[in-house]
Amino acid sequence: MALDVKRFVARFVEEARDHLRRLEDGLIRLAGGSADGEAINAIFRSAHTVKGSSRMLKLTAITETAHKVEDVLGALRDGSLKPSPDLCRLLQRGVDSMAAQVDQVAETGTPSPADADLCAALSQVLAGGETAPTPPAPAEAPPPPEVKLKSAETVRVQLSKLDELIKLMGEVVSSHARLRQRLVDLRGIDRAAGGAAPLLQSFSRDLRDDVFTQEVLMEELHKKALIMRMLPLSIVFEPAARMIRDLGRSLGKDVQCVTTGMDIELDRQLIDRLSDPIVHLLRNGVDHGIETAETRHAAGKPAHGTLKLSARQDGGFVVVEVGDDGGGLPVEFIRDKAVKKGLLTPEQAQAMTETEIIDLIFLPGFSTSSIITDVSGRGVGMDVVKRCVVDDLQGSIAVETRPGQGTTFAMRLPLSLAVMRVLLVEAGGQTFGFTAQYVAHLLDVADDRIITVAERKAVIIQNEFVPVVSLAELLGLPTPPAAKRGGTLLVVVRVRNEKLALKVGQLLDERDMVIKPLPEHLRQLPLVSGMVMTGRNDLVSVLQASALLDAARRQRGEATAAIAPDGGRAGIRVLVVDDSLNTREIEKDVLEAQGFIVTLAEDGQDGLDKARSGHFDAVLTDVEMPNMDGFTLTAALRREDRYRDIPIIIITSREKAEDKRRGIQVGADAYIVKGDFDQGNLVDTLKSLLG
Amino acid sequence: MTDDITPDSGILGLDQVLAVKRGAAGPVVDVDEPSVKLVVFVLGTDWFAFHGERIKEVLSDCPVYFLPGCPTSLEGVINVRGDIESVIRLRVLLRLAEDGGAASGSRILLGQGAGMRSGIRVDRVEDVMDVPQSAIQPPPHTINEHLRPLVLGIVPFQKHMVTVLDLERIFLDYRTGGL
Repeated sequence: MALDVKRFVARFVEEARDHLRRLEDGLIRLAGGSADGEAINAIFRSAHTVKGSSRMLKLTAITETAHKVEDVLGALRDGSLKPSPDLCRLLQRGVDSMAAQVDQVAETGTPSPADADLCAALSQVLAGGETAPTPPAPAEAPPPPEVKLKSAETVRVQLSKLDELIKLMGEVVSSHARLRQRLVDLRGIDRAAGGAAPLLQSFSRDLRDDVFTQEVLMEELHKKALIMRMLPLSIVFEPAARMIRDLGRSLGKDVQCVTTGMDIELDRQLIDRLSDPIVHLLRNGVDHGIETAETRHAAGKPAHGTLKLSARQDGGFVVVEVGDDGGGLPVEFIRDKAVKKGLLTPEQAQAMTETEIIDLIFLPGFSTSSIITDVSGRGVGMDVVKRCVVDDLQGSIAVETRPGQGTTFAMRLPLSLAVMRVLLVEAGGQTFGFTAQYVAHLLDVADDRIITVAERKAVIIQNEFVPVVSLAELLGLPTPPAAKRGGTLLVVVRVRNEKLALKVGQLLDERDMVIKPLPEHLRQLPLVSGMVMTGRNDLVSVLQASALLDAARRQRGEATAAIAPDGGRAGIRVLVVDDSLNTREIEKDVLEAQGFIVTLAEDGQDGLDKARSGHFDAVLTDVEMPNMDGFTLTAALRREDRYRDIPIIIITSREKAEDKRRGIQVGADAYIVKGDFDQGNLVDTLKSLLG
Repeated sequence: MTDDITPDSGILGLDQVLAVKRGAAGPVVDVDEPSVKLVVFVLGTDWFAFHGERIKEVLSDCPVYFLPGCPTSLEGVINVRGDIESVIRLRVLLRLAEDGGAASGSRILLGQGAGMRSGIRVDRVEDVMDVPQSAIQPPPHTINEHLRPLVLGIVPFQKHMVTVLDLERIFLDYRTGGL
């Protein structure tokens, strides 16, 4: 990685000027005789810092001067030299000379060489010579530089002051919403007056213009205020990378850390809380991910492991990825462990897809490291990482792992937590908000498109079953009688690859809003991630999509438990292949309610592997899937001895006759179109095929 | 004072009073004892109080907003000049019987303690007063078992016995899930 010297230089200039200012102050006090030991110590440290940081950037000319000044100050500090007016003047010259050099660095990037006379004079002082009868500015010296007063380009502001400013800005934005509401009220009054007052009409128009102009200005102001609090990711990335190299060494693993995208800026609020999850993921990468040198060598990989820490912009979000080139997550090991820990029954564990198994690592107390080390493996961590990313940072986290090639955790985060796009809806007589990143679709569907599957409602969206629940019911609010308008409004939320359609009463508004945090002691409430203020000055809860999915799952779990299994079907094993998580889940529920044992597979290839490694009495498959489609899977299964005669049912949204024909051609026994899917149809078909 | 107050009238003038005071030799006893400020409020028929230093504000007419998924001990949240604060149903925490909806004189006390801040719903705020420390008596033995740890003492006020509650402890128990 190339060292970005330019960025460091800017930082050096800022820091050096700061220290030189202190040096100057200190020398004035020294000359005035009011400098005590601590004061001399302080200016010594300043000179020392300038020396050190200039050396790091190879600005040797500055280093040289600083070094000499430091030596003299050191002698003053230990008492081997006594301050005298001449000495102070000499030191002052040294400081001025460094200041001039720093200015040159700021302008051109390179300082002029150190003033040889000055250095010689300083050395002479140290050598015990009298304070040199300094040859002040010999005749051949360059003309005195043009004296200009520097004004600082940066101002240091205390963070708390900035936070106050931003909070106040948020209040202004919130209260502006109220103004907009007044405008709506005024239009209402105007209408009520029936246009009888032309003055009122023009007043209303003027006010509208003013409000909108104000809004534009205010949003700009708010944006600018937020930018002030933005910091580059390098603040987190740099120390993390350094720490990881150290950690690798302490574990006897040769590790390099590659970082990209450090310039991307995030709100300080996020930066502060991002460090812990990143460090944790990196540690895991070094500890569990990267194999030992021998293992790596055997696998034909370079002996040193590589950790990648990268960031990129993605719309209004930033994606931070932490990846290693290690052995990948041990999926089967995690599956076993989940069973051993009693989190899952062996059947459940077998039925879960790889992605679902990987999700288990985010459960509290789940650690896959077989040995507990200082570094990781104590089972605290991944759940904390997830909570931090999802709850505190309003983001999402995804895992991608390939055996032998490594694991990558991708965190998708908003740039700022202060303002987010929020959708306001009405349900059960209350207003609720959703942050935009979780909203996948807004649908107004005819009632007959909501079908009943396994005692619960679902809707088909893009070839996928999505469960439908009433938001009011989910939140335990009284559900108002359904409006007679022959349709249902659905807000479809998505967390990773899982979707949930929420029935709502009305869509109210959608705009950028300032999210206010809940008081500390309420943060553990899972359903609410924060609050926004509406035009009426009302507080509205912003709902946490992942918690809604959990709540829906719990509700569903109770519902399915209530259905007594048929009994007669016990022991019949069915393989369900579908790339949509929701569809798989629904089909599984339908079949389990009937007493079937269900195994899930997420695509054709996965299905084929599972079919080969186990035995199934029937296979249900989707058509369009990554890696291998359902037609190919069916044909492949028919070539296997074991699956030549077992029932294969294709479930798809393809309604064309030629698709049906193709399904029969490759050997499927039945072809069910998702559109007219109902559980009776599926179960009846399956039962009749099984005889 | 007035001219007609003379020693003859039987009423002592200020000068005389002072003279008498000075004359009555003896050590001056400081009768001031430490006092505490109490915020006295009513829940149903019971009178309670919090220490004044724990109550930052008394809010009235403050709309409370619904918070999905919150426990019954929480009524919802309020907006206090831009900050969101919770509102605790003290009635539920103290396991007092519920009596109808919020009365018209209902107030929210904004309390602070145990590292948290929250509104506390009460039926009526009766008074804010200073009482000498000694006026607070230890809680009687007849007090309810579950209330005992929350009670600092009792103090008589306007023919009522006012139970002084420990807000610090209430908030602490609330946070740790004890209530």
